[in-house]
Amino acid sequence: MGVDTIVQTFTNALVLGSIYAMVAVGLAIAFGVMQMANFAHGELFMAGSYVVFTLYTLVGIPFLIAVILAFPIVAAIGMVFERLIFRPTRGNVLAGFMATAGAGFILQVLVGQQWGVGLMRSIQTPYPGSTEILGAAISYQRLLIFPATVVMVSGLWYFLTRVKHGKALRACAQDPEAAVLQGISLNKMTSLAMLLSGGFAGVGGALMAPIIPVTPYMGHTFAVTAFIIVIVGGMASIEGAVIAAFILGFIHTIVTTMYDSVTATMVGVFFMALVLIVKPTGLMGRVKV
Amino acid sequence: MLKFNLSNHLLVGSLVVIVFFVVAPNLVSAYRLELLTIFLINVILAQSYRLMATTGDWTLCHYILMGVGAYATGVLAKMAGLPFYVVMPMACVVTAFVSLLFAIPLSRTLGFAFFIASFALGEFVRHVWLKFHYPFGGARGINGIPKLEIGQGGEWYFIDFWDSQNFYYFTLIFTILALMILFRIDRSRLGNAWKSIYSDRELSESIGIDVAKSRIMVFCVSGFLAGLAGSLLAYQIGSIDPHNFEMVEMVYLIIWCVVGGVKTFWGPLIGVLSMSVVFELTRPLAEWRPALFGLILILFLVLLPGGLETLPARIRAMLNKTSKQREAG
Amino acid sequence: MTVLLELKNTSVFYGKVRATSSVSISVPEGQIITLIGSNGAGKSTTLRMISGLERPQEGDVLFEGQSILSLPPEKITGIGIAHVPEGRRVFSQMTVMENLEMGAYLRSESKEMARNLDLVFSHFPRLKERVGQYAGTMSGGEQQMLAMGRALMSNPKLILMDEPTLGLSPIMCQEIAGIIKEINGNGRTIVLVEQNARLALALAHYGYVLDTGEVVIEGAADKLRENGDIQKTYLGLD
Repeated sequence: MGVDTIVQTFTNALVLGSIYAMVAVGLAIAFGVMQMANFAHGELFMAGSYVVFTLYTLVGIPFLIAVILAFPIVAAIGMVFERLIFRPTRGNVLAGFMATAGAGFILQVLVGQQWGVGLMRSIQTPYPGSTEILGAAISYQRLLIFPATVVMVSGLWYFLTRVKHGKALRACAQDPEAAVLQGISLNKMTSLAMLLSGGFAGVGGALMAPIIPVTPYMGHTFAVTAFIIVIVGGMASIEGAVIAAFILGFIHTIVTTMYDSVTATMVGVFFMALVLIVKPTGLMGRVKV
Repeated sequence: MLKFNLSNHLLVGSLVVIVFFVVAPNLVSAYRLELLTIFLINVILAQSYRLMATTGDWTLCHYILMGVGAYATGVLAKMAGLPFYVVMPMACVVTAFVSLLFAIPLSRTLGFAFFIASFALGEFVRHVWLKFHYPFGGARGINGIPKLEIGQGGEWYFIDFWDSQNFYYFTLIFTILALMILFRIDRSRLGNAWKSIYSDRELSESIGIDVAKSRIMVFCVSGFLAGLAGSLLAYQIGSIDPHNFEMVEMVYLIIWCVVGGVKTFWGPLIGVLSMSVVFELTRPLAEWRPALFGLILILFLVLLPGGLETLPARIRAMLNKTSKQREAG
Repeated sequence: MTVLLELKNTSVFYGKVRATSSVSISVPEGQIITLIGSNGAGKSTTLRMISGLERPQEGDVLFEGQSILSLPPEKITGIGIAHVPEGRRVFSQMTVMENLEMGAYLRSESKEMARNLDLVFSHFPRLKERVGQYAGTMSGGEQQMLAMGRALMSNPKLILMDEPTLGLSPIMCQEIAGIIKEINGNGRTIVLVEQNARLALALAHYGYVLDTGEVVIEGAADKLRENGDIQKTYLGLD
């Protein structure tokens, strides 16, 4: 393996880990507050891609603005999930999870009917060309994802540790009843959590839109990996999700380079099973779920 | 006068249903008969899934276990050329064994983590089918699974199960057998012990139930029957590939169990029956159909948790309430 | 003396089980009222009902003459009732300062918050030394102080305290008791639930004894202390 291959693999892993982190962090936030487990998280990711497809490819809005707009649009879908599904099923994780599976079906059908089912929408990259680092060619489009994730995750970190409502969200995740006694509204917090969760999934999907084929069913693979990541990371732990995302990003990239993507998925799942056996709470988890 | 009690009731009811299923082939078209066969396989699948759910462990890999049964059937019947009376029991045992491998790490988790981890393990198995062209055929799967027959053409006891009517009866026998076994389990001490795990884990531990072992055991029994359903499916459609066992199918299985409920033995039966009818009636909806089923799933979980089986009790409670209010008013 | 809080014949059911039965309590402004009784007598349930965490199926709860039954718990905090829950329930993965900020969630205007913070630090100088420490790493007594400080941050008229001395060392109990007295001295009304009846009656002006969900005896605290039955049952004197 030459230096160029190593650099190539390393950057690819960094990019993949970044996108996993963005998707998995959203799951962890939602699960942390009142255990909202969103089966349709992959469909929110898919919705983000279609926002870019619609606004950038069809309407002609600049790519970056379309990506930024994906946040509020998909966040709104997340908040609808919260209001119509998670709030009435609060206290029953599985019921909320299964019901969002139904919501995933609905999103897939709506998108498929609007923009076509079988057709893969390929979105022209707004940043053609690539840069060469130590002999490895890395496209600008991919390169954009890493800083975008750094900005998003630091923004989230800032919100959760410096902003009043962010702190309230953490308080709610740690002890909902005690949070309520401080005057924090649980409904507002679950809504806020799903806003963030949807927004992150949406931006993730938006950034990936020019790189992967866009179909109504594209979210599935990302959702599977994101769920593996949050289990490995410790369900509700955001730090855990970020760390596990990069671990999985590296595992997938390296195994894909050496063998193929099917094997990579298998190794990822095997890794998860291993973590469950050795430490059922996940890497950063404090409580068994 | 006939004594009116529940067991007579049940007996008469089951007899009526059995008679219906026995004469059905003469009443419906060949196409409908195929649907009826699939329905019977789905009954086995949903009922075995319910067995898991009675311990409180909802899995997301039951369809994969069915697939294990189907793949085992494909490999053993096509590659090894074994006859069905060897293939089917082996397929069930193989599935039970895979279930055991799943259950050991899974029994360390609970509730949601169990659910999602079972999903990931299932995906692992599905990727094994995708990856290994030999013997699983990769993405194309296994085609041309030998048809099921007893004896050979010309012999007096020859039965060709390629004929839909014959295969239907074959499936019916196994469905009735599986239901009888599950019914016995449901009413047995063992079944009650398993149910007690759901209602109170710590209490059941304190009265001497080995919770971890019981959960693993239920998983294996449930897997064994899922393997039976898979084996029947493989023989029926004659070819299988990884797409037959995708998440979407698992969601439909969950829809049956959510719509019917899993507390009583009858819940999943009601669920499969009603949803199969809805499924057939909504064929004209075409691509919109998954959205309808998604909506059904959401509505049941939000508005009628517990499923249709709890409906009579709910109606009774509501009537009681209104009559009380009338008395008060 | 104006009545700040009044419970009128309240009953709480958990499913079909009656947790409290026709409890009537009157809390005059500026006093410490205590509810004593054995485990499962309905003391905590009564407090949880006042702060809206449980709903009474019968009866009414009046705060400053207005029924608060229709208010959700977060709104009840807003009208000036703070609850120091049983087991302290501090946010263990947040710092002391962040915990106090959460207490001030509804009073986060900076001037008011600074004033309340000064007040909390005057009662609990120990918290001031540890503003950056994670709450989960503190001792039980310190966590209790934090929970009380957090409640004070909302500048409440009424503070509900559920078992503040549970599991604390005798010295720490004395310290907490002293602070409760101090807080009350600053004009705040307190409803105190305690299993340690001796301590509770020493602090309180008036007491209610609960048994299996019902008020069995009530009276001025010093009268209750001299009551033979109570001495026998709750104070461990023969």
